[in-house]
Amino acid sequence: MSFADESQNSAPDNAPASKLGGARKGAEPGQNAAKRLQTELMQLMTSPAPGVSAFPSADGNLLSWRATIEGPEDTPYSGLTFKLSFEFPSNYPYAPPTVLFRTPIYHPNVDFSGRICLDILKDKWTAAYNIQTVLLSLQSLLGEPNNASPLNGEAAELWDNDPTLFKTKVMDRHKDVEDD
Amino acid sequence: MPAAVASQWQDRQRRVFQSVFQTDVAQPTPQSNPSTLLPSPELPFGVPTTSLLGQQQQDALQSHGHPPADHHSLRRGSPEPPLQTTPAQPLFPPTAATNDQATYDRAWHVVTAHIALPSSATADDSFGMPTTTSTLAAEPQQQQPWPSSRRRGGRGRDATAPASSSSGPVSGPAPGGDFHEAFAVLANAHSLLPHAARTGDILAWHVRQVRAHFAHHVTPLLAGCVDDGGGGDGGDGDESGGDGDGSGGKMKEVDDQGRRRRRAVGVKGNGKGKGDYYERHMVIVMSSIRTLEGALRLYFYGLHQLLSGFARLADVAPEAARDAELLNARFRRDLHALVGGSVPAGLIRSVKAVLVRLAGTILGIPSPVEVGGGRAARPAPPGSDDLKVQAARERLAELVQQLQNVGLAGERFQVLFAEVMDTMMSNFVIGAYAGVWSAPDTRSFSATMDSVSRGAPLSTASPCIMSLNDWVENHFARLSFEVLACISGNPQGPLPVSLADLKMYQSLALGRLAALRIQELFDIVLAWPASRPALEDLRATITTAARRKQLTNSFSRALQTRLLHPGCSTLEILQTYISIIRTLHALDPSKVLLSRVEPGLRLYLCQREDAVRVVVAGLLASPDEMRAARKVKEVWRQQRDEASQATSRRRDHNNPFATPGMPGPSSPGTPQPRAAHRGFAARTDTTPSHTPVPTTPSRPTLPDKPAERPSLPKKLVELALLLTNDPSQAQTRRGAATAPSSDDADLDWADPSWLPDPIDAGAHYKRPRRSEDVIGTLISALGSEDAFIKEFAAVLAERLLLPPSSSGDNPAQQRFEQELRVLELLKRRFGEASLQACDVMIRDVVDSRRVDAGISKRRERMGRESAEGMEGAEAMEMGTRDGIDYHARILSRLFWPGLEREHFLLPAVVVQQQERYEAGYEGLKSRRKLTWLNQLGQARVEIELGDRTVTVDCNPVEATVVYAFQEGGDDGGGGAVQKSVEELYEQLQMDEDLITTALQFWAGKGVLRRVPGAASSNTYVVAETLSGPATGAAAPDDTATDQPMEEEEESATAAAAGAAKQGMSAKERERRDMYWRYIQGMLTNASASMPLAQMAMMMKMLIADGFPWSNEELQDFLGEKVAGGEMEVVGGKYRLVRK
Repeated sequence: MSFADESQNSAPDNAPASKLGGARKGAEPGQNAAKRLQTELMQLMTSPAPGVSAFPSADGNLLSWRATIEGPEDTPYSGLTFKLSFEFPSNYPYAPPTVLFRTPIYHPNVDFSGRICLDILKDKWTAAYNIQTVLLSLQSLLGEPNNASPLNGEAAELWDNDPTLFKTKVMDRHKDVEDD
Repeated sequence: MPAAVASQWQDRQRRVFQSVFQTDVAQPTPQSNPSTLLPSPELPFGVPTTSLLGQQQQDALQSHGHPPADHHSLRRGSPEPPLQTTPAQPLFPPTAATNDQATYDRAWHVVTAHIALPSSATADDSFGMPTTTSTLAAEPQQQQPWPSSRRRGGRGRDATAPASSSSGPVSGPAPGGDFHEAFAVLANAHSLLPHAARTGDILAWHVRQVRAHFAHHVTPLLAGCVDDGGGGDGGDGDESGGDGDGSGGKMKEVDDQGRRRRRAVGVKGNGKGKGDYYERHMVIVMSSIRTLEGALRLYFYGLHQLLSGFARLADVAPEAARDAELLNARFRRDLHALVGGSVPAGLIRSVKAVLVRLAGTILGIPSPVEVGGGRAARPAPPGSDDLKVQAARERLAELVQQLQNVGLAGERFQVLFAEVMDTMMSNFVIGAYAGVWSAPDTRSFSATMDSVSRGAPLSTASPCIMSLNDWVENHFARLSFEVLACISGNPQGPLPVSLADLKMYQSLALGRLAALRIQELFDIVLAWPASRPALEDLRATITTAARRKQLTNSFSRALQTRLLHPGCSTLEILQTYISIIRTLHALDPSKVLLSRVEPGLRLYLCQREDAVRVVVAGLLASPDEMRAARKVKEVWRQQRDEASQATSRRRDHNNPFATPGMPGPSSPGTPQPRAAHRGFAARTDTTPSHTPVPTTPSRPTLPDKPAERPSLPKKLVELALLLTNDPSQAQTRRGAATAPSSDDADLDWADPSWLPDPIDAGAHYKRPRRSEDVIGTLISALGSEDAFIKEFAAVLAERLLLPPSSSGDNPAQQRFEQELRVLELLKRRFGEASLQACDVMIRDVVDSRRVDAGISKRRERMGRESAEGMEGAEAMEMGTRDGIDYHARILSRLFWPGLEREHFLLPAVVVQQQERYEAGYEGLKSRRKLTWLNQLGQARVEIELGDRTVTVDCNPVEATVVYAFQEGGDDGGGGAVQKSVEELYEQLQMDEDLITTALQFWAGKGVLRRVPGAASSNTYVVAETLSGPATGAAAPDDTATDQPMEEEEESATAAAAGAAKQGMSAKERERRDMYWRYIQGMLTNASASMPLAQMAMMMKMLIADGFPWSNEELQDFLGEKVAGGEMEVVGGKYRLVRK
């Protein structure tokens, strides 16, 4: 059991590293997260997923990222883009990043300060997830909110009962944030 | 009666005055102005310092008991105060008290007059003023109670002066009886003259007199000596006066000689002033010594007079006589302190200069004058029979003795001597051993090397250390001993230089040597292995943690300034690195030093993109290259041997211990040894002089000078050499593989050469294996295994797909051996799994050779027995019908790095062959498919032109392009075939860049020719004949029909010859695409607009494999994007255009 866990955790870390060459310098204990994030960035750039993108923040801190999600078609969020921030712990990927919506969003599972209720960012996190999977999960969350455990009760209710009003609320709430 | 009244009145007046002014009554003679007692009427500074009133008071007060004072004032003709008249009368005071006092005073006067000093420093010295004569002239006028005393004293002094050396007991002639009477009176004043109220200590008076005299007369003279010697011949005017005095003739001669010499110097002066530097200082010192000797003679004369008085009184006052010796010694001590404390700085300088010269000669260190004279003088211990040295030794002993006698050998001299000896040691070490790494000349091992060094545990000492110890013992310590023994003046005392001192000197000298070697370490590394003896020096001297630290710090600095800069190629850096590894391993097998030095180097190597490639290429170097490199090394070694003696003084310019007196870089006249006067860092300005003497024989420093270094190794062949020749490289690893416990050297109890960990080892220090392990260290220095393996796979792929070279009977086989060796080596290091791809690659090549042969054979067989078999139906056609011999290599797609498909249309004949081959392969191995990599491979093309036939080996792209000219020729009836790039592009569907490159290739071969005419002509024509432009009428059809037998191998010349030159390879395009995605991601997420520099910085930081572009390249790239409408520049910042 423990063996399985271990291999599951370490596999995604090692496989891309060996494939892509990794950094030249030997990995020190504290550098693991940075190295992994560098590798993930490389992956994002070589095989980007449609509608999502992410990049380290402009201050050069590899543990702090900015990401963009485009609202999926056929959802109330279609045509909108949402900015997010990722803060990675130093023991990433063994702990989940802290993800916030920086763009105000009206969504059953996102509160008004941008906090997200998503199980894979909490207790269901494993090291097999990465930034891209998180972003894709969030993108799908936009289309399929988990109304069983809403952070925004009103939104959950409207989602089920009054899609038109929901859409209006979404458009009202949304506004583009400028960079800091 | 009136006299008595007057006397009483005087007495009372005196008492009143005393009560008010507290005059020291016990002071019969005014202390402040001893000159008042001097008999000379022409005193230059006889004016008393006291005010006129004070003088009057004093005179009045003393008049009664001090007739001499009165006489003085009379004789001086000073204004006569009215009070002065009274004291003239009572020569014989009426009362007992006054009588005693007068007697005492008279006696006092006799004695003091007898020992009074002349106003000159030395009456018998030519430096004195002509006072002696005037003194003598004044004698007849003296109307003193003991008129002859002064005169006799003067004569006596004159007569005995040369003989009376200042040491020893009283040696002057017995003074006259009156002196002794007077002296007896003074000495026994208490008993003989109980009523004399004011008595004094005649010795103290003498000392005071001496002090004043010294201050007033001798000190200016000394200063004059220095100025004189330093500034030229200023003080000659006062010479003549003293000449009449016949005393001290010999010394005067010496002095005059000195002065004449000095004057000569002054005349030649500016011309060769430097040459007589030492002489000049010697004159200063000698004249100062003479002056002091003269003065001291005077002082001691007085003292001896007094002491002889004591001696006579031995029966009367035994206690006074007893301490005569004591008094003598104390006087001498006081006097020496006085002299030592008032030496002018200029004299100290001169003494130093003289000392430096003499000690330099004795110790075998050439003076700067000699060096400047063009002789490449290197310090060497002088032979025992060197006359110059003996002379210098005697001269120095004499000088020190003289200095000691005049009291100049005090503390200041000792400090000076210590300084000089310290400088000497540094100069000797630097001069004798800088750049000399092997044994210096053998004469340094003098036969006298018997005592200490022999017994010392120096079994491991290198030649340099041995000779240095020998020098310290037999020359340095000996000189110290001689000088200090002279100074100490106490022969019974402890030895001035003990055995412990000698040990200390030696350890000091070794410390200097260590510092020197540390300075030189970088050159030592470069000269490895010729510099091995120097390492022995270091190893023996680097004994403390502090020195180790100094070594690593200094070496790291040297690395930064001399190696790790853009001027050095990666190859050079790696070669130096190998030398460093071996050198430091030899120095310190524990590798702690290496690990201290390495980080900077490793960090820098990480910036060098090609480092891994260079290492891999070096590992894979062919035996031919190794042989060539070895030959080059031989040549270099020879050159170095020739130049070795010339490289000696190369490090003068940053000589940390250089003192002004020693050879510096400024000395102009040494052309030959300076040729080698350069370090690594100074390359730019010394390039011209580099030719004759390569100082860094083990590695190239000037890659752009092929003429000078004809056969520079282009590869790191050292590694291949190591791999083939050095069994330790392989053995250790094999040992480690078979006996894993040998990793734990700490647990190897049976190891007899076990040593504890070095004291400066870090916390994570792990005992290394004993071998140098150059390759292993190098590989680990290059970063992660992954990067290395990746690079190795790329290089290996490249080499495996190289066309088989024509030279050698079976070179391909050989190359495989080399590659397999390296592969095995790497496997042992990294494990089988990580090198699996390389295994597969090699197997692919071997297999495909077999498969290829199999397919060909089968096709032939099929062709013969065409009834049977289904696969090989067309095999027959191959060789016969088309005249095309076609071979392929089958690569396993997953395992080969960097395989990109380049799309273009091959000539139909080749395509046919491909199809057949494919069929054959699929028959051989079912369920496998071939994908052709058309751009990789090689073709032999034979072109028949109008007047010649050209056979060229080229790559498929070029072959395809030239083949197209054959096809076009069919319709063009008359002229030669002519095609433009656009036409070819349509026909071949090939990248235009590739087409252009191929056309240029053929134009270079003379097969095609660019059509002149339109400026933007990109049309080429077949050059049927060599002469004349496109006189295409001749036989155009030949080309069309007889175009080539093509032999094409589907193999890789990965860098596709010229393709990368103009156009972009697929890889490069890929890379640009990826960078563009990075930029998009960055501008989408991180910040909507960013300046160029920040973007470049982010890219460099974030791209794992490094971002090789410069800011300018990035700017060009972004400029393209801006031009393409994908980006815009707003306020100096780039941003994406929003759609």
